Amino acid sequence: MIKKIWPLILLLSSALILVFVTGLITAIAITNGGEKSQEEIPAPPENIQTEPSSAAKNILVLGDSIGYGVGDEPDMGIGKRYAALIDSEETIEVTNLSVSGATSADLAALVEAPENEAFIAAADLIIISIGGNDLTGIQSEDVLSLDMAFQETFNTYQKNLDATLNRIRNLNPEAQIALIGLNNPYSELDVQNSQNLLEWNYKTGLIAAAGLKTAYIPTYDQFKDHLETYLAADQFHPSSIGYQVIAEELDRVLNGID
Amino acid sequence: MDTLVLNVSHISKSIKKKEIIKDISFQLRKGEVLGFLGPNGAGKSTTLRMLVGLSRPSAGTISICGHSIRDDYVKAMAHVGCIIEGPDLYDYMSGYKNLELLGSMSKHVTQAAIDQAVTLVGMENRIHDKVRIYSMGMKQRIGLAQALIHKPDLLILDEPTNGLDPQGIHEFREIVKSLAKDTGISVLISSHLISEVQLMCDRVCIINNGMIVQDGTVTDMLSTGEIVWVLNDPIKGQKILSENFNLASLLNEHNELIAAIDLKVLPQINATFITAGLELHTVYAKNKTLEDLFLSVTNQRTIQ
Amino acid sequence: MLILIRNEVTKLLLKKKLILIIGLLIIFITLLSYGQQYTYEKNIDRFENFSGAGTYDWKSLATQRLNDLENRLDSPYIPDSGIASTEIEIRQLRYFIENDINPITPSAVKFSVDFVEQGISLLIPLIIVILAADLVSGEFSTGTIKVLLTRAVPRWKILLSKLIALILMTTLVVLIIGILSVLISYLFFRQWGFNEPVATGFSLIDGQLNADSVILVTRFQYSLLIYSLTWYVSIVIAAITLLISILVENTATAIGVLMAALIGGQFLQFFLSDWAIVKFFFVTNLDLTRYLTGSYQPIGGMSLNFSIITLGLWGLLSLMIGFMVFNRKDVLV
Ligand SMILES: Nc1ncnc2c1ncn2[C@@H]1O[C@H](COP(=O)(O)OP(=O)(O)OP(=O)(O)O)[C@@H](O)[C@H]1O
Ligand SMILES: [Mg+2]
Repeated sequence: MIKKIWPLILLLSSALILVFVTGLITAIAITNGGEKSQEEIPAPPENIQTEPSSAAKNILVLGDSIGYGVGDEPDMGIGKRYAALIDSEETIEVTNLSVSGATSADLAALVEAPENEAFIAAADLIIISIGGNDLTGIQSEDVLSLDMAFQETFNTYQKNLDATLNRIRNLNPEAQIALIGLNNPYSELDVQNSQNLLEWNYKTGLIAAAGLKTAYIPTYDQFKDHLETYLAADQFHPSSIGYQVIAEELDRVLNGID
Repeated sequence: MDTLVLNVSHISKSIKKKEIIKDISFQLRKGEVLGFLGPNGAGKSTTLRMLVGLSRPSAGTISICGHSIRDDYVKAMAHVGCIIEGPDLYDYMSGYKNLELLGSMSKHVTQAAIDQAVTLVGMENRIHDKVRIYSMGMKQRIGLAQALIHKPDLLILDEPTNGLDPQGIHEFREIVKSLAKDTGISVLISSHLISEVQLMCDRVCIINNGMIVQDGTVTDMLSTGEIVWVLNDPIKGQKILSENFNLASLLNEHNELIAAIDLKVLPQINATFITAGLELHTVYAKNKTLEDLFLSVTNQRTIQ
Repeated sequence: MLILIRNEVTKLLLKKKLILIIGLLIIFITLLSYGQQYTYEKNIDRFENFSGAGTYDWKSLATQRLNDLENRLDSPYIPDSGIASTEIEIRQLRYFIENDINPITPSAVKFSVDFVEQGISLLIPLIIVILAADLVSGEFSTGTIKVLLTRAVPRWKILLSKLIALILMTTLVVLIIGILSVLISYLFFRQWGFNEPVATGFSLIDGQLNADSVILVTRFQYSLLIYSLTWYVSIVIAAITLLISILVENTATAIGVLMAALIGGQFLQFFLSDWAIVKFFFVTNLDLTRYLTGSYQPIGGMSLNFSIITLGLWGLLSLMIGFMVFNRKDVLV
């Protein structure tokens, strides 16, 4: 019996050994691939302006899709709308480094990146919209662990936000910073989420209060009863009107009512 | 020289600083059956282990059919078949599978050779059963077969009759004798059973405390050179011996006359006794028993 | 030589080790697949209750995420380092959406990878120990070493044949683990999952996860990588087990020593991870598969290369000592 299956065992095992050795080498190659390409391409990305403009007033927008202006008319967003609002005689240059889908960790990494230093240092006003994507991350957790997950997510968020603000302050002690609060596109659906969101906003407000020249821009109440009009077709991002509302709120907080 | 199948010269072995074998030398010729006799713990198994390369002597050389076991291990071992301390077999296989597996490790072991060995040890009927269920004697038989399948020139057997019934011992003896006679195989058998050695072996080495204390043919070793006469008047016989032949003699407890003589003069002495009118009942050569010899040379009560 | 190897394989097979191992694996895999299936169903239930709508709509969540990621790629300001990993996530999400597979659905191949990833530092080494621990010590304790070593075959050849037979059988055992875990878990999950895309190729540079070289492979290719690493670990464990088996002359002791090493090693790693020398211990380096998913660095300075080299050295050293000891050992049983 064994004499008959012996050639089979020998062949099968030998073939498998070849496969496994190949797999092993591949695994090593794949894992080591990163270090090589790391050495090869530390060059700054081309599609970013390498020099900030020397305009009299610079606005820098950082953060996620809301900072980027998803849902707004092309080439607008909070920064541009605010610039239009304050109606200054000076030329206002708006730079938008927001990344759709960015989380607080992404933002912390972004402000660390050397290629972004110059923009941060040159800005007079830095508008930050962040946190929405951190929070959607825990949307699918079940009820029991939701609270814990929320706490954990907020702690991470807070850490990242602190790091971001510190970094900005290091590069630019003078700039005004504005943190855009979260609105709640899910408001009618469930209470638990709304409570979490309010808590989130409240705590973000506390962070803002602790920093010099750092403002918190509330949007929750402004949006609450006007979701139809203030939200874009995707029922998630603000519409053009929504962005305008945020920009006006920003104006009101920073400059008061004339 | 080429008839020397095994040449052991001056081997010693120490285990854990204790010298177990002390400078042993002996030879074994083609076709010879050598008994290795010694009490428990004498060092028989230890010596045999060194002969088959299971352990290394601390000093000395061993060669088998002219090949040094140290320098030419493979060639030397090709001539050896052995059982060392019990028939150890793979008990999860059948006896046949064991023989096949072990046979495949030597060159030119054919199916026929295996079958022949199985028949020789009388195991044809149970050979395909698992070794696990064999009796001790059956294992011994397979053990012997396993030592024979590659047709060795030297068979080294350590207490091979352990566990065999009288019938088995007898068969075993016949097998060994006929192997030695017919195929010219040399056999080295260790044992502490005197009768076994006496019946089977041409030559005996008695080993005690790791030393060889006697080495010679069985007949030489046992003969005392003494003659025993049973006479109606042993005193008169004694007188005749001293007066006519100038021989010292003595009487034993049975009133038998004993004297050490040159065998050439025995007929003359007998004739003189008869002419002197003595009744000569029996004359015989006095032999030591091997047991006497064994006990006298291994005179010890405790195992060392 | 081939005959010697065949003999050794025969012994291994007739000892019914393989059957014992297969039995153990079947029990483990069945329990774990059942457990995973159970947890999965529980989770789905919870989601459904939570969303209130009755059905749990993973698809819209995934689509939402996909849109976000795509927008993010469009941004001119996205740092280069993020592009690769974003693209990969997009491709993964697309696959799941297009094939209508919920990413959290368990599949047979995924389970089989999980199984060895979990088992690589204890269960699989133990299985190899079962296979190999009595390879030499067993021959000593039954005395068969005497009939084995009194043939006209040099000792190193006998040990080499044992080693090769062990490597062959270890390889088969790894294959058996793969086949059993896929087949049994398929019975539970009804989902092969061979083509699911998986991201791999992360590396840790200066303590930062680097995703530049991350590539997307199918779950099947990924499982080949994982099993290759498992195989390597198994071979090293086999070599070490062989050494212990030569040294101790007693199977129970051999198994004991190795169990102590494996379990003690985990403790060592747990309590003394600050102590640099711990990373040179073989047990600390067993968890090779974790390096493929990137986030793993049990003790500073460890990497896949480091672990593979360390394990390799352990294996080679074991074999060298093993051959030396076996060659000059006095057989006194
Ligand atoms: N592994 C060992 N370690 C230490 N001493 C040993 C070892 N093996 C044997 N000895 C000692 O060597 C001596 C000889 O042992 P050996 O087995 O050769 O005796 P033996 O003549 O075969 O006895 P027996 O007739 O009982 O089989 C004994 O005193 C024994 O205690
Ligand atoms: Mg003995």
